[in-house]
Amino acid sequence: MPTIELVDVTKTFDEGKVLAVDNITLKINDGDYVFLLGPTGCGKTTTLRMIAGLEAPTRGKVLIDGKNVEGIPPEDRDMGFIFQHFEIFDHLTVWENVTFGLEMRGYEDDYIIEKAEKALNTVGLLDYADEYPSVFGNPGLQKLGIARAIATGAKILIMDEPLGSLDPKVSKVFRHELRNLIKDLGLTAIHVTHNQEEAMAIADQIIIMRAGRILQMGSPYDLYESPNSIFVANFLGETNFLQGFVLKLLEDAKMEMWIRLGGPKIICNNLNLQFNLDDNIIIAFRFEDVYLFPKGYDFENSTYDWAGVQLFEAKLEASRFVGSTKRFYLSLDNGDKFLSIKSGSYEENFSPGDDLIIGIHIDDIHVFKAPSDLLYETSLS
Amino acid sequence: MNKNYNKIENTSYAVESNLSFSLKVDRFFSKPVYRKSLDTITIIFFALVIIGPIINIFSTIFLNIPSIYSGVFADDLIGDLKWINILSSLGVSFSVAAIAVVIDIILAFPTSIILTRYNFRGKKILDAMVDLPMAVPTSALGFSILLFWGIFGVNPGMPLIVLGHVVFTFPYIVRNMKIVLEKADTLYEDAARTLGAPGITVFRTITLPMMKEGLIAGSILAFTRSLGETGATIILSGLVETAPILIVGFRRQLDLPSASLLAGILIAISILLLFSIKFFTRRGNFPVKRVLPKLERFLSHKYFRHLRDAITAFFLVVIILVPSFFIVWELTEGNFINELFLSQDYKWAYLYVSFMSSIQIGALAVVVNLIFGIPFAFIITKRKWGRIITFLDTMLDVPIAIPSAALGFAIFLFWGPAGLGLFQPGFFMILFVHVTFSFPYMVRPIIGVLESSNVGVEEAARTLGASNLTVFRRITLPSIKQGIIAGCIMVFTRSLGETGATIVVMGSVRTIPVLIVDWVEANTYPSAIFASTIVIIFSAFLIFALRAVRRKGGK
Repeated sequence: MPTIELVDVTKTFDEGKVLAVDNITLKINDGDYVFLLGPTGCGKTTTLRMIAGLEAPTRGKVLIDGKNVEGIPPEDRDMGFIFQHFEIFDHLTVWENVTFGLEMRGYEDDYIIEKAEKALNTVGLLDYADEYPSVFGNPGLQKLGIARAIATGAKILIMDEPLGSLDPKVSKVFRHELRNLIKDLGLTAIHVTHNQEEAMAIADQIIIMRAGRILQMGSPYDLYESPNSIFVANFLGETNFLQGFVLKLLEDAKMEMWIRLGGPKIICNNLNLQFNLDDNIIIAFRFEDVYLFPKGYDFENSTYDWAGVQLFEAKLEASRFVGSTKRFYLSLDNGDKFLSIKSGSYEENFSPGDDLIIGIHIDDIHVFKAPSDLLYETSLS
Repeated sequence: MNKNYNKIENTSYAVESNLSFSLKVDRFFSKPVYRKSLDTITIIFFALVIIGPIINIFSTIFLNIPSIYSGVFADDLIGDLKWINILSSLGVSFSVAAIAVVIDIILAFPTSIILTRYNFRGKKILDAMVDLPMAVPTSALGFSILLFWGIFGVNPGMPLIVLGHVVFTFPYIVRNMKIVLEKADTLYEDAARTLGAPGITVFRTITLPMMKEGLIAGSILAFTRSLGETGATIILSGLVETAPILIVGFRRQLDLPSASLLAGILIAISILLLFSIKFFTRRGNFPVKRVLPKLERFLSHKYFRHLRDAITAFFLVVIILVPSFFIVWELTEGNFINELFLSQDYKWAYLYVSFMSSIQIGALAVVVNLIFGIPFAFIITKRKWGRIITFLDTMLDVPIAIPSAALGFAIFLFWGPAGLGLFQPGFFMILFVHVTFSFPYMVRPIIGVLESSNVGVEEAARTLGASNLTVFRRITLPSIKQGIIAGCIMVFTRSLGETGATIVVMGSVRTIPVLIVDWVEANTYPSAIFASTIVIIFSAFLIFALRAVRRKGGK
């Protein structure tokens, strides 16, 4: 059963001048659909290419089914690879593209025909078997790329931005088909993308990479709900960041923090008691976790359970209706700005300049140590 | 997608014994050891056959300083007269090349613009006609030019040499400029025009900087071709001696010390020139700031543009096109039948044998250069050897840069009786010479297509289970086919037209360009006219084939 493991893998280019992958260790279980997610240049494609054997690690081991595959060329690794730019053989017909891998494995003609027909049928291209790939646009080429990769019967499927060349609408439909196909075939799949939404929508597991390192891995839900860093919080979903410091340590692993320059005081979690008095911290909360109430709202007589909800005042600067959602631009007394997002049908009668009461649940507030370096500046901007 | 797809059952993977024979062979020879062996053999070939003779000439000169000194600088009878001869021939060669290139450039600017930015009937034919002198053997071209200007009483000498050199170097400059202009988006020019720049200002500030690379590359090629040309120059020079002609003369008199000294000097100068041009000229820039805007606006008037086009067309026709093909007109005189076919000295048999020798040598040069050129192009583009690749890449241009007569003499010294003693002047030595000077013409186009070819599809094929050699055979080769065919035609064409180096190493064998020179020197003009016409037609056919290949390749 195919599993993929990377143990302390490092890859450098240009005689060590460029560090692409920095000492990463990960394990992908049989049948998992795993995403490598990160911004351009974070080393995710290089990681993928090392697994496929297209690059050799500078240090460390790649294990497939527990076996070290060092020195085994890509042609002997038995993996399907779907390329970002499809890399279809345009001098061969659709049929010849799909049978290429089967022929390389020395299968009988009958078997090749059976498998190639199945693969083409799966992606709906059987009618185009005798055409040249030049008849296709990007979606057709991508389907052909998928058929070519799965026809060989390889149990590991590797995909480098497989949906990146499709236009956003096509890509949104196609990604579910892709997931269904992978699950139907029972493949172990790795999917590289820089599109968080794509990863959130169809991944079993997401590995977030940055600057050659793995920041966090876990299910989409875990990553979204408990990001372990400012970067992850910012990268997945739309997030507000505010700066402040610890004012008072409370019981039950909680603390009171004060948003900088005379902003409001908020109680938040101090998990593992990692923060101390006067620590500079960053709090992060999702746009959609910010609740808005008119000033003078009667909380006492509301039926909702208000325990844990932090309330403070803010001014509404502007609101925008963007189809399915409404966005509210808010500011604090100290000038810090943040956003709230509501469904497009959210009913309100706020107008710019209104003072509002803001509510955020304590569990929706993520607290991070304020970094002193530039990294922090860029991740906030 | 069909969700009822059955899971592909886990079958045993890559049963090697089931593979087809060719795939098995591919897998076997894809082992790294064979790749390394092929690399080694290719590098040895390059070092020995292409670069070896060139380096060797310097050691030959060094070892023979005494005989060179007594022969060239302190001859008992004539003192240093030969040295003075050598210096003056170098002077002639360089001034001819410089003047020819300047004339070329002046004429090439409007020509390349007309051929890329205008649309008119017969443009393709004109384009092919401008290209043609590049493919026609220069001795046939030179003879045609001699006959044409003869009508106006221009006798062999400096002016005629320059006129001849302009004709066969012109295509190199136009071609390179055209390539750049075709690639450059006219949107930039349009943008400049919407900002209020008149035509000439647009040309100077937008178009010209884009053409710089093409201009430099074309000028280098044209200059080196002019510097090294022998076939046409012999016919057009009269009493004037250019450096390659002098080498041929020394070789004919078996004056080896003088010949090796001059060949060495020419080779050294050419290599220095090549390197300095490669490294320095690209820094220069064209003036972009305002230069007499009113004058430019005035000169951009439609009237001046038409005037420019008319003048260009006139000179194109009178200097390049008509002289090149005038010989075909001369053929209609008709008395070649008597001289060639009916006379007692069997001239037609010589013609036939020479033609066959030319074709055989050309074909064999193509085969040898194919065998070593493809691996060499792969080494240059795919191996990551850092400085070694830069060095090999630079050395690759050397055979183009040095005059072929000097190269021929260097090869004669290296392989012939004076050196390794493996070959006598004759068929095989001609073949060696042709392989050497045409090697870059094979490798460059292949490097071109390899660099622009998509590495991704090769990787895709490997992930599907194809071994290195299978990838080459099934994926890479079809995509670089056009470059290889273009390289083959270039090599064959250059081999067919070469004179200088061939004269130096031919012994008793004759190729067609040399035969034409012989017949012109023997004043049997009708036969020479017939032979020239044949090669011109043959070359025209080759250039059309080359253009067809390039078009198919989308270049």
